[in-house]
Amino acid sequence: MNLDWNIVWIHRWDLAQGAGITVLLTVLTMLVAVPAGIVLALMRLSRSRILSTAALWFVEFFRNLPLILVVYWAFYVMPVFLHIEFSAFTTGLIALCLNVAAYNAETFRAGINSIRKGQMEAAIAVGMSRWQAMRKIVLPQAWRRVLPVLASTWVSLFKDTSLVSVIAVGELAHVALQIRSSSFRVLEMLTAMAVIYWLMGYPQAKLVDWIHKRFEVRE
Amino acid sequence: MELDFSPLLDSWQYLLGGLGMTLLLSVLTAAGSLLLGTALGLGRVYGPAWLRIPIVFYIDTQRAIPVLVILVWFYFAVPILTGVSFHPFWAALMALTLHIAAYVAEIVRAGIESIRPGQIRAALALGMSRAQLVRKVVLPQAMVRMLPSFGSILSITIKDTAIAAVIAVPELMKRAETIAGQSYRPIEVFTTVMVIYFIILFPGSRLIDRLYKRIAHLGRS
Repeated sequence: MNLDWNIVWIHRWDLAQGAGITVLLTVLTMLVAVPAGIVLALMRLSRSRILSTAALWFVEFFRNLPLILVVYWAFYVMPVFLHIEFSAFTTGLIALCLNVAAYNAETFRAGINSIRKGQMEAAIAVGMSRWQAMRKIVLPQAWRRVLPVLASTWVSLFKDTSLVSVIAVGELAHVALQIRSSSFRVLEMLTAMAVIYWLMGYPQAKLVDWIHKRFEVRE
Repeated sequence: MELDFSPLLDSWQYLLGGLGMTLLLSVLTAAGSLLLGTALGLGRVYGPAWLRIPIVFYIDTQRAIPVLVILVWFYFAVPILTGVSFHPFWAALMALTLHIAAYVAEIVRAGIESIRPGQIRAALALGMSRAQLVRKVVLPQAMVRMLPSFGSILSITIKDTAIAAVIAVPELMKRAETIAGQSYRPIEVFTTVMVIYFIILFPGSRLIDRLYKRIAHLGRS
């Protein structure tokens, strides 16, 4: 078995660019999916049946589908329904957002529900509106419980961005797999890909552990 | 836009075989990762110190690398290293099991650590051995608390088997791709498969929730 690790060095800038796009996808998805998750959670908890049912179905639907299928679906089906052609990057981003927004909605809902009902009632009793009570009393407390879960979702999302490689978004996995098939240096490229993901993901996983410890709810 | 579901009707048996493959792979992966993950989790909490370091490293490594990368590495790189090549199904089974076991290990650890230390002290004060207190005090409560997380592991496993399509395991996702490619009917095929996955996954997660509500009191302390 002769190995030629030079291939990794030759393509270092391609790989760096791919890693950059992976990070960009992660950041953009979270930027969309956090507000979307809050809106969905508030819809779910609102008194309007239509809103809460719509949010429930959205969340349950996207939580119960393999992400890779959502990616394919967004690629083949969505443009036909919406009559718009998206770039591969945008398509991947949309698929990731749909998935993560559903997870975030559950996170926020659980966070809001973890604040005892008495607090909301007390806030209403002192004359706040429901919306004021939510904004000033419940959400500030809920975010401490939400943050660790969001951090875990972040790491999952970082890993899940690799799935948009199936529609040729030029992120790390796609770049590495392309170089593999054009150079036939299979072992070298696949190992390099795993190592780069590890180098990026390991510190994030450790950071998540730290956040979990820091924000642990003690009873 | 005209929809034409005839490619699906023509090859429903092919698709059904894919569904069977998905379920088989899911069940084997879930069983394997439960065994391996429980061993890792127990090793991490109760094992000797020298064993904990590699276990923690292993778990965190799996948490850091995408399952797609593990799958592709197992299928394409392991044969080059060892000279032994696997059928995609076995490669997928091993890769998914190794990956998901890490999550199971974390669940087991969290379940065990959620038992208040006072109980362990009480058990020791009563004269129980360490093995006894783990078996009779810690695990019976911890297992109930782990149940919802194990439910989500099952759902994660089914969803992750779809990623095995990239190494051409002939499961539901891969077969959907094949039919969509041959018939030029991706809209009908992918939408139908979406519904199939939802029908499998949704009642499963609901069922676990129900079951947990029934037995949650057993885990309270």
